[in-house]
Amino acid sequence: MKDALWIFGILFLTYPGTIVWRIPAVRRLDLAARLAIAFATGVVIASTLLYVYSLAHVPWNRTTAGIPLLVLGVFGVLSVGAGAPAGPGARNARPQTAWIIISIFIALTLFGVLTARETTADLIFFWGPKAQRFNDVGKIDFDFLAFPHYSLMHPDYPPLLPLTYAWASLVAHRFSWWGPLVVLPIALGAITAAFRGLSRQAIGDERSAWYAVLLTAILAYGCAISMTAGGGDPMLLLFEVIAIAALTFGGDDRGMHILAAVALAGAAFTKVEGAVFVAITVVAYAIATRRFVRSVAIALPATVLLGSWLLLSWRHQLLDSYRLAKGTIHLDVLGSTLQGVLRQASYDVAWLPWLAALVPLLIRRRWKHAFFPLLVAGGTIASTLFFYLHHDDPSWWIAASAQRVLLTPLACLVVASAAASE
Amino acid sequence: MTNRDTIEKTILAAATLVLFAAFINRLYTRGGPYAEQPQTIVDHVGPTKHETRDALILLPRIRPLLPSGAQLTCFRPVDGSEHYDMANFFTAVGQLPDQTVLPPFVAGLTVAPADRVEYVIAIREPFTHPAYRVVAEFPEGRLYRVVR
Repeated sequence: MKDALWIFGILFLTYPGTIVWRIPAVRRLDLAARLAIAFATGVVIASTLLYVYSLAHVPWNRTTAGIPLLVLGVFGVLSVGAGAPAGPGARNARPQTAWIIISIFIALTLFGVLTARETTADLIFFWGPKAQRFNDVGKIDFDFLAFPHYSLMHPDYPPLLPLTYAWASLVAHRFSWWGPLVVLPIALGAITAAFRGLSRQAIGDERSAWYAVLLTAILAYGCAISMTAGGGDPMLLLFEVIAIAALTFGGDDRGMHILAAVALAGAAFTKVEGAVFVAITVVAYAIATRRFVRSVAIALPATVLLGSWLLLSWRHQLLDSYRLAKGTIHLDVLGSTLQGVLRQASYDVAWLPWLAALVPLLIRRRWKHAFFPLLVAGGTIASTLFFYLHHDDPSWWIAASAQRVLLTPLACLVVASAAASE
Repeated sequence: MTNRDTIEKTILAAATLVLFAAFINRLYTRGGPYAEQPQTIVDHVGPTKHETRDALILLPRIRPLLPSGAQLTCFRPVDGSEHYDMANFFTAVGQLPDQTVLPPFVAGLTVAPADRVEYVIAIREPFTHPAYRVVAEFPEGRLYRVVR
């Protein structure tokens, strides 16, 4: 029962996240996409709220945390009213077939997590302990993070995930070890719905549905084989897909830029890779659009959030992961690194996810439409290799992480392929 | 519908089908049973038993026996002695939030008597430090307490 309540606490965040429906471009999306984007936004809002409370020494409880979220949801749902009608062809049979296939993949993912087949050990080693500790003390416990014997718990990892889990623990009155696993199928459903909704106007109902199917298939299988349930990767992928899709299909719409900014803030606040993703996205967007001021503007919320966290980490002597970029690069292991990454990138299906994403792109060859997400995909692959080259023997790191982190460029390639089919 | 449309859809459909089959295979090869609730969140993560499974079963049973705020450590002994066992150490940090979990070296043979950690949770294998006595025993391990 408590596990169910915990999961409800996670899903509840969709409610305050509906404040994002005040953006006209979001309001025009279909209901599934709006709910997905509201969920992602709600996670950013709730985690930021608890973060600010921690800084301001305001204790967390259901009242201090719950009331602001409830009020925000009122402004979101009641003020906006019923959303815009779904796009043309909403009752088209083929998209319904697509939704059936997507539902099967999500159901399989739910089965996989509930039967303990996709659990990441990182949930047991640090995401869960941090969330539990934060909830128990009603704040971010910097003494816990700074305890020297817990230094392998990545004390400077950004706190969005443990804060989100702590919120759900507030709702359920205790931490749940099963609840975080269910976040994976929830995030997967949200990724699919958001991508489909954001791409629909640009590439049409049918194409957006089939590319959503491909994206779901790739991420469902990729998350299963790389064991991401309970960790930061599902939420990170959700924020990344929303950001890239909003910027790829949103054109010059200011509302889409605001949405992308929120999603990028979520990405940067979730994992170290998120900060790298934000930087790459900003540079790629600037190159693709020549809109330098706007490119910087969409990174502002991420910069403020992450910047404050890095400052706190520095003050409490927690900095560890973010220092790595200063280390020596070992070019002598470039060959073995490339081999290792290439091997992991096969996902045991002969590199099919990459082929499935790239071949339609090569057929269409509408490079201009796909330029921005392709740049991001290339940038994230390069940054992954760059990280591995900071170790004199990266084989363990590659085996432990490559399949997870390569899901980001894979998702970008699907977005690129979809954009090129326009 | 153009030729390119047909090729595109064929590729997407074929890839989805192969990924579906691979997904099913992945879930299946994690082992059965398939219709029972697992005992822990790592029961089927691999073809072999996960390194934290014993601790995930044992620690909730030991938790009621420990006073709040007690200092302890957790590891799988090697030849009866402590060693750095990150997996079980960090699992204990998460499973025992009301206690202070320290790294295994605090139960080493060379540690001064006054500095020895009060409780040791030994996963599976016995812990043979002469200053510790068994307090409770379970199939997955034992709880020891220092004799001062």
